[in-house]
Amino acid sequence: MERQLKVPNYRGKKYAALLSMAAPAIIITLAFAYFPMSGLVLAFKNYRFDRGVFGSAWNGFENFRYLFQSGTGWLITRNTVMYNLLNLFTSQALAIIIAIFITEITSMTFRKVSQSVIFLPYFISWVIVGTFVYNIFNYETGALNTMLRAINVQPVNVYDKPGVWPWIICFFNAWKWAGYNSVIYIAAITGIDAEPYEAAEIDGASISQRIRYITLPGILPTVITMLLLQVGRILRGDFEMFYQIVGNNGQLFNATDVIDTYVFRSLLQNSNLGMTAAASLYQSVLCFAIIMVVNAVVKRIDADYALF
Amino acid sequence: MAASVKNRDNSSVLFYVICYAFILAVALISFIPFLMLISGSFTSEHAIRFGGYSLIPKEWSASAYELIFKTPMTVVHAYGVSILITVVGTALGLFITTMAAYVISRKDFKYRNVLSFFFYFTTLFNGGMLSTYIFYIRYYHLKDSLWALVIPGLFNVFYLLIMRSFVSAVPAALIESAEIDGAGEYRTFFQIILPLLQSGLATIGLFIALGYWNDWYNAMLYINSTDKYPLQYMLYTLLQKTEAMSRIASSAGIPVMDMPSHSLKMAMAVVATGPIILVYPFVQKYFVKGITIGSVKG
Amino acid sequence: MKNGMKLLASVTALALAGSLLTGCGKKGAGASSGETTNLVMYVIGDRPAGQDKADANFNEILKKKMNCTLTVNWIPWADFTNKYPLLFSSGEEFDMAYTAAWLNFTSLAQKGAFKQLDTLWPQYAPKNYARQSDAAKQEATVAGHKYCVPTLLATYTAYGPIYRTDIMAGTDWNGKMNTFDDIEKYCDIVKKTHPELDPIDIYAQGSEWDDTYMYSTGYRSSKNATNDFLFYNPEEKNPKIVTYYECSTIPQFLDMMARWNKKGFFPKSALADTDSTKTQNGKAAVRTHNIDTYQGYAILHPEWNFKYQAMNKYVTHLPFTQDAMVVSNTSKNPEKAMQVWELITNDREVFDAFFYGILGTTYSLNDKGEYKILDPNQYALSDMWAARTIEFTRNGVGTPDDYQTQRTGYEAFMKSGPEAEQAVKFEAFAIDTSKIETEYAACQNVHQQYWWPLELGYTDAKKGLAEYKAKMEAAGIEKVRAEIQRQLDAYTATIK
Repeated sequence: MERQLKVPNYRGKKYAALLSMAAPAIIITLAFAYFPMSGLVLAFKNYRFDRGVFGSAWNGFENFRYLFQSGTGWLITRNTVMYNLLNLFTSQALAIIIAIFITEITSMTFRKVSQSVIFLPYFISWVIVGTFVYNIFNYETGALNTMLRAINVQPVNVYDKPGVWPWIICFFNAWKWAGYNSVIYIAAITGIDAEPYEAAEIDGASISQRIRYITLPGILPTVITMLLLQVGRILRGDFEMFYQIVGNNGQLFNATDVIDTYVFRSLLQNSNLGMTAAASLYQSVLCFAIIMVVNAVVKRIDADYALF
Repeated sequence: MAASVKNRDNSSVLFYVICYAFILAVALISFIPFLMLISGSFTSEHAIRFGGYSLIPKEWSASAYELIFKTPMTVVHAYGVSILITVVGTALGLFITTMAAYVISRKDFKYRNVLSFFFYFTTLFNGGMLSTYIFYIRYYHLKDSLWALVIPGLFNVFYLLIMRSFVSAVPAALIESAEIDGAGEYRTFFQIILPLLQSGLATIGLFIALGYWNDWYNAMLYINSTDKYPLQYMLYTLLQKTEAMSRIASSAGIPVMDMPSHSLKMAMAVVATGPIILVYPFVQKYFVKGITIGSVKG
Repeated sequence: MKNGMKLLASVTALALAGSLLTGCGKKGAGASSGETTNLVMYVIGDRPAGQDKADANFNEILKKKMNCTLTVNWIPWADFTNKYPLLFSSGEEFDMAYTAAWLNFTSLAQKGAFKQLDTLWPQYAPKNYARQSDAAKQEATVAGHKYCVPTLLATYTAYGPIYRTDIMAGTDWNGKMNTFDDIEKYCDIVKKTHPELDPIDIYAQGSEWDDTYMYSTGYRSSKNATNDFLFYNPEEKNPKIVTYYECSTIPQFLDMMARWNKKGFFPKSALADTDSTKTQNGKAAVRTHNIDTYQGYAILHPEWNFKYQAMNKYVTHLPFTQDAMVVSNTSKNPEKAMQVWELITNDREVFDAFFYGILGTTYSLNDKGEYKILDPNQYALSDMWAARTIEFTRNGVGTPDDYQTQRTGYEAFMKSGPEAEQAVKFEAFAIDTSKIETEYAACQNVHQQYWWPLELGYTDAKKGLAEYKAKMEAAGIEKVRAEIQRQLDAYTATIK
């Protein structure tokens, strides 16, 4: 409960101070995010270099057509959303489990070393991971097939089995981000008040009880924030990851093509800036619609957990 | 009492076994590709071409590193640029982000949701490469300036919102009592909030630093002078050169050239990543448990 | 303590930042003094470490002859997809740039990225203009205006196997490489005697054997490049645009490729293999490409005894816009730019200084006039390949003798008879996709997704071809074909 002080313009002074604290962030956002946003009009323009962004003629929704030509629009949208949902749950779940386990480990050296090691995949760029993937799965000399041959099993051509690749991609995505995401959860766990833990110790609670009733609820705000942030990007695929892992294997495209890879291939030989902008706008509008709905739902359940 | 103690011991032992085993497994899976990366950088090109990658170099060769350090000044320069941008960017960025996070975490600030949405909206809609490029180059005159490498990473809305959840974990009662004692917002922020945000600051600081260290995109767009190239951009040009040239395979004009070898790419990756890996263990000491005890009573 | 540290850090940061700000800024561009103009040129490539020397030497000569200097900026290979279009859309002031088909010259020209050269070219670079063939001038024309200065160096549509012969020593190979059967025999032998090699070089950018096959049966690609999906036959009176699935000989080609796949001539996961250097590094034995790549491989590895056999039925010139120079709309000195270009392409001393560097320091010449870069880690040729002319271009040391003889052979062949000459008449045909951009992009996508695995025998030949046809039709191939046919008919009328 707030006790109002009888200082004149107290509210005003407080708000002025708060706004001034947020000022640098506001200015940066305005100058470097909002002003350039005017470029979104490119999506509706037939861009000509000699007329610039604002001088070029409007062409309605023409730039969007290539996304939906021959039924691809639904396929790539569905793929993008599915992969993001799959990756979202697996990588966040893995990160939470890792965070909980690591904070429970008592041996300091084991904890520090394993924390650092788990973080390593983040540093390996997808280009290099791509070559490793090829090294594992290729038919002639891949590690997988070499192993299969060694135990007298027929080698398998993974590259013509589209159904396997969502799981391969999911695995590599989790592998790359688990360590990075776990840091957030570890920080959240260490930020939980120690009092309930001491009380639980005294009352003789088991470890799993401790985790269920103190740790998990304690990091719930962080978990919700992370989930919401990921949902807000649900129409955006990680281009580098898909491009490096799948490469140009057309046989896998129906199962692994996301909006970003499709756009890249379509516009490789045609630098049509309007069409690129159209794809981005399509993704943005859908993300916007989805997050508005999800955020509103979360807000109804508990206003503190919503993003805005 | 004795029975519950015994139960606790059994289930704890089981738990710890699972715990250690799981973490060990994850650590191994994380470590092995990294080991392959290092091993690949020390393997001869011929062995990689015909034998693939392995955990231990099949045919030892340090020629990739020799090539990189043949012109040590380029690498030293790149290190300098990367370190400078990372330090300056992280310090400024962390400061700006944390202050803004504090503002939007204040439940008694009427406009916090409006402000949050104002910030968040920019992650949904993006003006695109061309528009951003034109603003940076033409209107803000940042062509070939190191500022163009610092500014984009200063304020990341995702980190802002994560930081907000950390700040929200600080009990509101502390802020109230500071208000009652007559402290202004700035004092509250610096003297009460910041000291309690250790793990949050460490996390977001780490992420901002990593973001700067790993960024090549802004260097690609805005930097032309070779002595202003950051490390990751050098790595990127090396890795993508073969990719880019192979895509124009059918052109007649491009002469056949020697491409960067596989081991060179690995060696460059090791050189570009090396130091930042050491930062994380350094930062770990800030992940200390239970810092708010005793500050709130009743 | 902590907030004290933070304040200190912030202040330091701001101080450093201040110094950053003052320390950098715009590079001095444009006219430095009242007299000497400085021109800016953009090329694609990674700038060699020792390029400053070569630039300084060139500018000395240029200053003497024309009282201006030239700054060459290099866009690294890794960035050109993004930075090249940005160059023309950001309003940056510069004068000249390299352009090529793979830089989407036609598409960019249609969208107004370049300055029109209709009057500038003949007026300020008259000798260059006079030396250009009619085909070249026509290729430089987009939507009725000239937008680039094409190269004066002829390149050829010749495509065919570049193959190692050293590994054939001691085998019963008959030395022939004229037909696809010959290639198959060659690969059989490689597979038997050198199992560690991939006989055929295929990697993630797809196979070019389909294009080679079409060329060998007399077809021309509609866009004058590989990875095309529309072809026409210049032997016809009114050539019709056809797709792969309409060619009667394609099913047997697909069967052949399926057989090659089964025999293991190339990896089953080749489209995931990003290594584009397998032939030049000894992992593969034969690759299909053009004669200049053959020259490159032979220079790199003379010990492997590379040989080359073009398989086209009719060899013609590749569009001269393979390498070209464009003038930017933002150029303040387009006349001077054209004059500098005229000088480079007509003056031997200037060309050598521009393209090769400093004799004795960056490159050396042998008595045959072949060049050798003296320190490849420091120096390289200029990446402005458009500057090359037939008279001035030099071959690298180690160029095989038959490189030149094959090229002169192509020139002779092009004049050898009515059919050859008819094919040459179609050299300058270039397609304009501006009205069908969406459908063309969709077809390109379908082509990559369904044809690339099909042509390598990864998918069943009959089913795959039917599926390819269905998907192409869904993507709008008929609309594309109608438009391209219309353009081809218009062109055919002009050459009758």
